[in-house]
Amino acid sequence: MQKELENNFLSDFEENQNIAHKICRLYTTNQSDHNNLFQEITIQLWKNYPKFRGDSKFSTWMYRVALNTAISLYRKSTKTVKTQNISDYDYKIKAIDYDNTQEIQLKALYKAIHQLNDIDKALIFLYLEDKPYKEISETLGISSINARVRMNRAKEKIKKILNP
Amino acid sequence: MDLIENYKKVWDNQSEDSNKASSIEIYKIAQLRSTSIVKWIFIIGILEFVILNSLPFFFDMKEAYNEYRRLGLESFDFYYQIIYYFISFYFLLQFYLNYKRISTTDSTKVLLKKIIKTRKTVKNYVLFNLSYFAFIMIIVIIATIQINPDDLTNKKILLIIVNIVIITLLFLGFLWLFYQLLYGILLKKLNRNYKELKSLETL
Repeated sequence: MQKELENNFLSDFEENQNIAHKICRLYTTNQSDHNNLFQEITIQLWKNYPKFRGDSKFSTWMYRVALNTAISLYRKSTKTVKTQNISDYDYKIKAIDYDNTQEIQLKALYKAIHQLNDIDKALIFLYLEDKPYKEISETLGISSINARVRMNRAKEKIKKILNP
Repeated sequence: MDLIENYKKVWDNQSEDSNKASSIEIYKIAQLRSTSIVKWIFIIGILEFVILNSLPFFFDMKEAYNEYRRLGLESFDFYYQIIYYFISFYFLLQFYLNYKRISTTDSTKVLLKKIIKTRKTVKNYVLFNLSYFAFIMIIVIIATIQINPDDLTNKKILLIIVNIVIITLLFLGFLWLFYQLLYGILLKKLNRNYKELKSLETL
């Protein structure tokens, strides 16, 4: 029983783990924080997995748990050295240089989202991931109308940052 | 095309993270212990309970009991202690229940609300303890004054009261600062996010 649960979890998680990585990359600015948040998200997912009934897709459920962990549970470690902030991701991006403009734009996008507050980050992220408003409002616990209004404001903010 | 739409394409085309964890790594990570702030609040609550309730074992309470007897507060102390432990255990139970109720599968707003409630319970526990000590202090002062009314001039009484009040205030002030700092650091981000979500209700 436990073994089966573990196996299901591992295959579900592995398939969708990029969701967690994207969230980590949005909510942290260096590799060590990224790893810490990824760890906490994994722990939370596993802890709550027995309660996951499969009413929704695993990925939908994962968005919620992972975002909640990033927004509410996770605290940045104060020990990390600030100077490594940019270099970490610079390094990551340099490794792939077949399409330069794509990577430069992606980097600019992440940089812009980093400047938003935690809630706006979640909104923009769910928009970029093509989530319907119903799911967005359920995930954050706000009404659909408010999600829409707020989303438009967040989009305006990000536009201003990207194209001042 | 809209600027944002354009960037959305860029987003969709991003490659998978280079740090992908393997099944074995995921399995190992999942077995680790959570270090979330909720856990910290729970641990702090338990620590407070343990520390406050073990104080009598560190201090020699014999003298205090003798003093109580001299002041005729023996039975008062007995009943008061019973009430104190009763309420303390109630809080301990609340700490645990709050902790258990918190689930990352709730919506963000509900989750933040529950965490804030947890913190409030800890805060109330501390307030309860502080007022308990303050109350005892007042009772002892009154009993002292009542039992030796002849030895004490008004001036002396005033002096004792002023001294006790100053010491109590200093002590309470120090504790208050300590809690502000502790929960301030721990919950700064959480409070900010909760306010942000609450503000979404009144657009």
